[in-house]
Parts: sequence; C-alpha cells; structure tokens
Amino acid sequence: MQHNLGFALEAAWKVLLAGLILGAGLPALFALGVRSLAYGAGGDAEEHQAGASGPRAHPIGTVAGYACFAIVLFGVALGITFIVASGFGKAISFEHVYPTIVDK
Amino acid sequence: MVLILVIVTALGFDFTNGFHDTANAMATSIATHALRPKVAVLLSGILNLVGAFLSVEVALTVSNAVVKIQNSNGTPKPDLVADGGSALLLIILAGLVGGITWNLLTWLLGLPSSSSHALFGGLIGASIAGLGWAGVNWNGNGSKLDGVIGKVILPAIMSPVIAGVIAAVGTWLIYRITTGVARRFTDNGFRWGQIGSASLVSLAHGTNDAQKTMGVITLALIATGDWTDTKNIPFWVKAACAVTIAAGTYLGGWRIIRTLGKGLVEISPPQGLAAESASAAVILTSSHLGFALSTTHVATGSILGSGVGRPGALVRWAVAGRMVAAWLTTLPAAAIVGAIMWWIGHAIGGLAGAIAIFLLLIAAAAYMYLRSRRQPVDHNNVNDDWDARRELADADR
Repeated sequence: MQHNLGFALEAAWKVLLAGLILGAGLPALFALGVRSLAYGAGGDAEEHQAGASGPRAHPIGTVAGYACFAIVLFGVALGITFIVASGFGKAISFEHVYPTIVDK
Repeated sequence: MVLILVIVTALGFDFTNGFHDTANAMATSIATHALRPKVAVLLSGILNLVGAFLSVEVALTVSNAVVKIQNSNGTPKPDLVADGGSALLLIILAGLVGGITWNLLTWLLGLPSSSSHALFGGLIGASIAGLGWAGVNWNGNGSKLDGVIGKVILPAIMSPVIAGVIAAVGTWLIYRITTGVARRFTDNGFRWGQIGSASLVSLAHGTNDAQKTMGVITLALIATGDWTDTKNIPFWVKAACAVTIAAGTYLGGWRIIRTLGKGLVEISPPQGLAAESASAAVILTSSHLGFALSTTHVATGSILGSGVGRPGALVRWAVAGRMVAAWLTTLPAAAIVGAIMWWIGHAIGGLAGAIAIFLLLIAAAAYMYLRSRRQPVDHNNVNDDWDARRELADADR
C-alpha cells in the first residue's frame, strides 16, 4: 500500500504538471488567439458601446492570432504523433529539446 | 464452443465499452451545439476505429495488473489450462458477464461509470470465486505501480481531481483572456477548438480501450491452444474489436451523454474546450507514464472542473455525487456479479454452465433494454433542458 501510494503520487504530480502546460496552457493560448483575431478584426468582434461603430481593425492582431493557432496546432500534432508512435512501440523523446521519435 | 461464447461476450463488452464512453469525448460538443449529435457520434466512432487499429502494442498482459491468471510473459498459468483451458475460459466469461451487466445498468441510470473498472471488477470477482483471494494481485510486489490498489484504486481517486484542476485553471484563463470579445465571435472560434480537442480524446480512447478486449480474446485463444504467439494479436481479433468499439460509439450512449453534457454543468463553448483539452492532456500524459486510468473519470473530472473554473457557473453537485457513488460501487458490484456467474457456471459445469451464464447475460441485457424504452433518450432529446425534464419525470411517478 505504502509503496504504491508513493509511486502514484510521483506519477500524479507529473501528470498534473504536464497537464497544466498542455491541457490548460494550450487552450489559454487558443483563447489568446481568438482574442487577437477579434482585436485584428475590430468592429463588432469586440464589445463596444451600442450605436457607436466598434474599434478599428488592427492587422497585427490577425497575425498574432494565427501565430497562436499555429502553436496550438503544433501541440495537437505532437499529441497525435504521440498516440500513433506509442501504438507502434515508439516514444517521443525531448532529449534534444525538439521532439524526436525513439524506440521505447 | 465455450471459446466462441467467450469471444462473443468479449465483443459484447467491447460494444458496451464503446457506447458507454461516447460521452467522454462528445458530451461537451453535443451540449454546446458545436456538432450535431449524429455528426458527433459518427466522428467519434471513426476516430475510435482508427485509434483501435493504431494500437499495435500487445495488450495481452492487460489483466496481469489485477488478477493472477497469466504468467508474466502473457501465457496463461499452466494449471488453469490443464483441462483444455476451460477453467480459464470460465473465469474470463464470468468476468466479462459481470462487466457488461454493470455497464448496462449504469447506462440505464445514465451514469458515466468506468468501463475499465467494470471489466477489472468482473475479472477480480470471477478470480476470487475461482481461485480464492490469492488469485487477485491486490498490491503488486513493491517494485512499481501495480496491483488493484496501484493500477485501479489510486489512479481512480487521483485522476478526476487532476483533470478537474487542469480544466478549472483552463476555463478560468480562457474567460480572463477573452473578456471584451463579442460572444458570437468567441463561440465560433471555440467551436473549432472543441471539435479538435474532442477528436483527440476519441482517438486516445480507441487506442486505450479496444486493446483491453483484444488482450482478453487473445488470452482465451491461447488458453485453448488456438493461438500461441504472445507477441502478436491475430488480425481478425484486432479488426473485430476495432469495428465493435466503433459501432458501439456510433450507437452512442445518449443517456450518459445527456448526464455529462447537460446534467452536471451547463456547458458553454469555452468550457467545452477547456474540459476536452484537460481530458486529452491527462489521458495522453498518464498513458505515457504508465499511470492507468479511466477515460470516464478523467472526462467527468474535467467537466466538473470547467464548471468550477467559470465564475458564476451552475454545478449540480447532487448529480456529481451520484456519479461518485457509481464509481465507488462499479468495481465491487461488477466483482459480485462476476463471482456469482462463476459459481453458477461452475455448479452446472462444462459447456452447459457456460451457456447458462451466457443466457443469463442475454436475459439481463434484454430486460435493461426494455426498461430503457420506457423513458428513451436519443439524439433528438439529448439536449433538452435538464431541470424541465426532471420535473416531468417526477410528475410521471
């Protein structure tokens, strides 16, 4: 019982940490992307006083928005690669900072 | 002959596994209208199919974590196959019947309980009945996370909490970041985020859960001597399991989808995105770390967390309480059914015994199906207002 609890807690905090980065960080980035796009589009995409025409468009926002989405997509692609790789007995290693596929 | 019954029953379990767990991936997308109900289950079914085929890894030792019916290399214990494998087949069959029965009952009640717990519970019960208390691997041998406690109970307690915390943080961040953006604009954006994250959960589910049935069927084949390779799974087993879990997913456990999507929390698109992302992240990282868990527990924890993280959101704690009750009872209840089935099968003996418990399963399944028709939930009314329907149901009584 004792040793299992130790192992479980050890795994649990890792899952929590990775989960916070991927599971909460990526959605937050996605939200940032949505917000940037709204800032980029201006007008009715942002909340503004009724009757007045909304804030003007900011092209930089559009660029930043798509940059955020690109990072999120990369994260998702990494997730899918991980599923596929582990199915074939491989794992993803972050040894060289950038992800590489290695044998398990 | 008994082998055929075992295979049919195992595929039956795979099927209930599919429709029981559609909700985990798709409940939020359906509730927020990101996808139409029929489209959602179709997408989830296809991804489960793909996921199941991706699981090339041999899942033969899946039951080793909880019961001692196999050697560590995956072959069955020799004393269990001494009589042509029938002792082992009866344990597997009784265990599967326990798992299916409990899955159907919780579906009837619309409760998202864990299919893995139902399967493990059934196998544990049948093993206790057939082999005694020592037939169960309660605590592992101390070298790694193992046994009923390490592989089933501890992850079951921890994973919903972890997923809930992540989803709550995610939801809170999203709402903070998008204040000031028009509602229509965010909803459209988050719709796509939701579809993407829910698809990831479906894919992960296919790779994880279909493997369990593949392992069980292959074990039965080895027990009777019809298959000897412990490194590979026969292709037809893989194909059958993949198609069955996908078909089950496509059928959709609408009752459970309704509870998760509408009953627990009133979900908005940003919450849906946060919940599914948290689920996907937790499922993937834990399978990477060998931390076995139930997709159901994770998804429920995430949805609950997304309710907690949104300021002013309505969380129905009474519904959550019922779910927790179902989680606590799943393993022991499936174990009791598994044990009773083993005793019945053993008392009658041989082929007749196996047929008898198979027929009992059919009878129980038919009864629960008929019960479900009294108050059907399908893709038409899955999103009806939760409280209004409750009152109607109460008025009926």
